[in-house]
Amino acid sequence: MSKIMTMKEAISQHVKNGDFLFMGGYICRPPTSAIHEIIRQKIRDLTITRSNAADDFDMLIGAGCVKRFIATFLSLGLYGLARCYRRSLEKGIPHKIEVEEYSNLSLPMMLMAGAMGMPFVPVKDMVGSDLLNIKSFMGENKYKMIESPFDGSPTLLVPALNPDVAIIHVQQADEEGNAQIWGIGGDCKYGANASKKVIVSCERIVSREIIGKDPSRTIVPSFKAVAVVEETFGAHPGYTPGFYDVDFSFGYLYQQASNTVEGFQDFLKEWVFDIEDRTAYVQHYIERFGYAQFKKLEAEFDYGYPVSYAY
Amino acid sequence: MTTHPDDYIKPELMACCGAREIKDYDLVIVGTGFPAMAANIAKYTHAPNALMMQESGVFDATPKRPALSVGDPCLNPGAAMIGGLVEIMGMFLQTGQVDVGFLSGSQVDKFGNINTTVIGDYDHPKSRLPGSGGANPIGSLVKKTLIIALHDTRRLSEKVDFITTPGYIDGPGARERWGLEPNTGPHMIVTNKAVLNFDENTKEAYLASYHPDSSVDEIVALTPWDLKVAQDVHETEPPTAEELRVMREIIDPARMIKIYENRGYV
Repeated sequence: MSKIMTMKEAISQHVKNGDFLFMGGYICRPPTSAIHEIIRQKIRDLTITRSNAADDFDMLIGAGCVKRFIATFLSLGLYGLARCYRRSLEKGIPHKIEVEEYSNLSLPMMLMAGAMGMPFVPVKDMVGSDLLNIKSFMGENKYKMIESPFDGSPTLLVPALNPDVAIIHVQQADEEGNAQIWGIGGDCKYGANASKKVIVSCERIVSREIIGKDPSRTIVPSFKAVAVVEETFGAHPGYTPGFYDVDFSFGYLYQQASNTVEGFQDFLKEWVFDIEDRTAYVQHYIERFGYAQFKKLEAEFDYGYPVSYAY
Repeated sequence: MTTHPDDYIKPELMACCGAREIKDYDLVIVGTGFPAMAANIAKYTHAPNALMMQESGVFDATPKRPALSVGDPCLNPGAAMIGGLVEIMGMFLQTGQVDVGFLSGSQVDKFGNINTTVIGDYDHPKSRLPGSGGANPIGSLVKKTLIIALHDTRRLSEKVDFITTPGYIDGPGARERWGLEPNTGPHMIVTNKAVLNFDENTKEAYLASYHPDSSVDEIVALTPWDLKVAQDVHETEPPTAEELRVMREIIDPARMIKIYENRGYV
């Protein structure tokens, strides 16, 4: 059964106020296009998570969509601190979000536990730090410190996470949602499989036969997917290996814009609210910066040796 | 005969201080900027068999330009292995196999604890910083942590506002009491003024060497705790001609390292 639909349909049918969302990506393959659609549809009170969040999470927070954030890190990388995130926590603009803080070991492990059906998972980090002295909306269930039942040593347990919906952007998927990536994985595979349902955004839809030519690349099986959306350039200003590079100048543009509330609102108007979908976004990008600039982001081709699964 | 050209900039010297701590065959987890620069200098000079990884999922990358983030596109083509966070942070780091990690901090204290979470009160922050990311697990689990910091009485402190990443926490034995592996922890703080090492008994950072244009007195004045000075305190060895050649010709021909001068590393 084909699950192909537009991003507008995917978000309106599968993301509702108050949901717990995993949104994958690690500069590599962030689902920016889906995030813009969530902002356009003014979905509210979301709990969001990902290890190492960047401009896309900052934008969701600034747009007022977020109530809670299970966090490890949020910054604009090269361009410094995340402006909307800071305004939220320092000044309550547009409101103060609640943050539960973990690390880039513990959070991926919590998603892995969720994907595996494990109730919790021991991790070896966070001990001795103030990360254990702050508890937000998860309260006493943020973690448990126990003596190992095996050797009595101090052991930190963190709970499994099972988000309502995962949204990931991948290179290619088939119409039923078998989703394939290559390159930096971040916490995509476990985050998606920990979630109850998955929205697959992809650069291109391919046939089931193409998926079968290199099935080791599949990170989400069709039965987890509820929507497949073909969104070319869907991770911009992040990158997708084999398709396009990081757009550093756009990253700078976002940082400059988000420096002030007014600048941020203007940015949202120009790049989100006045834009209907990803096609219009690409068109606007080309009109604004020229085709040469758009073309410059395009990846070179350097194919690997084709693999054979034959026997 | 080793020569030391005098046209280096401070960030180059700092990168060399880090590089010299990497041994051949070390496994190194790196971020961007200084850490990547330092690790690459080591690889092209005295540690050709050192192997690097990035937390995002990359092992033994072969970037054609300096990576600007740990998820940079240039880390993908040519890497020996790519997975995700569970592979690097779980399978490699948490198992205790990584020798060296580099961290930088907005605030670093005398026990090498690092704050990248908040300046001021946690609930009412004066300045909200990015958070742990990979820093806490790296500082908890590598054998040897190298710390990069600016040297002034704001960036260095007697006690950080928030321990994002544990150094020696509150002194000798603390890491072990929390269940962290013995013989792990901060090894060095490289600043724009000096190299500080950690005393084996007190676990406090002390002055090991001062950079060529600084002095013991200046560094003691810029350090907000009662800084002990090594008996054999000496001038930091400047970058060698070969280290500079590797940086400028191979690793960073565009000299992106200069951005650190604008960030105060002078």
